[in-house]
Amino acid sequence: MAVKTKKILVPLDGSKNSLRGLDMAIHIARQSQGTITALAVKTVPGIYAIHPLGFLDFNSMKEVKKLLDDAKLRAAKKGIMLTGKAIAGDPGYDITRFANNSKNGIDLVVIGARGRSAAKEIFLGSVSNYVLHKSKKPVLVVK
Amino acid sequence: MTSSNYKKILVPLDGSVYSEKALKRASEFVKIFDSELILIYVVEKSIPVNLLDRKEYLGMLQKFGTKILDNSKVMLSKKGISAKIILKEGNIVSEIEKVAKKEKCDLIIVGNKGLGAVTRFLLGSVSNKLSQSSPCSILIVK
Repeated sequence: MAVKTKKILVPLDGSKNSLRGLDMAIHIARQSQGTITALAVKTVPGIYAIHPLGFLDFNSMKEVKKLLDDAKLRAAKKGIMLTGKAIAGDPGYDITRFANNSKNGIDLVVIGARGRSAAKEIFLGSVSNYVLHKSKKPVLVVK
Repeated sequence: MTSSNYKKILVPLDGSVYSEKALKRASEFVKIFDSELILIYVVEKSIPVNLLDRKEYLGMLQKFGTKILDNSKVMLSKKGISAKIILKEGNIVSEIEKVAKKEKCDLIIVGNKGLGAVTRFLLGSVSNKLSQSSPCSILIVK
């Protein structure tokens, strides 16, 4: 098949929109026999980068792990391989870094139009916007 | 599956390399999803042009637009894809949105930048505005 969308990156944050993005990615992956990489980013305030104790907060990594397990189940039901990855950091920056890293070989980023912040219903989410501008890979924004 | 089947795909063209890339990507999507393709060129009316030359200038743009649309159509028909072409006049973003709503498109595929020279490094203004306010999903081809 001509399409090169073999590896699809789906950033997840647990919101409905990101799940819709996941569904879409599964759909595309099924058509092009691709695999999905799910990326869940736990937001860590920048100050913790200097303060080592900030990373001792292991408990909240649980939520992220659960998110990835859910995603794995969802993809497995449709017969798609999904590899999960959990990162702590700044969502926008880390998603783009992951997508642009040639080692990961991402062909397409599928992202929900907005995430958890409900106040900005009408507009594009800030993270989506950041990824859209900075990523060197094609981005599919799911509305 | 939800309504994620891409039945109709809209591709705005402006004659730049990026829009060609978008078109290529769109033709791949059409092959997989077996969807309809709509090509659109919008003649921008909002640029301030000298009043006397205005008519001539718009005529030139219109000719340019039809040429691009025809070229793309020929290119697509070589691949065995039929496409509907639309030529519109007005503000680029709002016209594209209007068409997307009217035709009930499921996906818009755009290049990440167009003919504008200033935004070389960033996302083009049209792509940006579209991604902010489009009624349907949008694929930005890089």
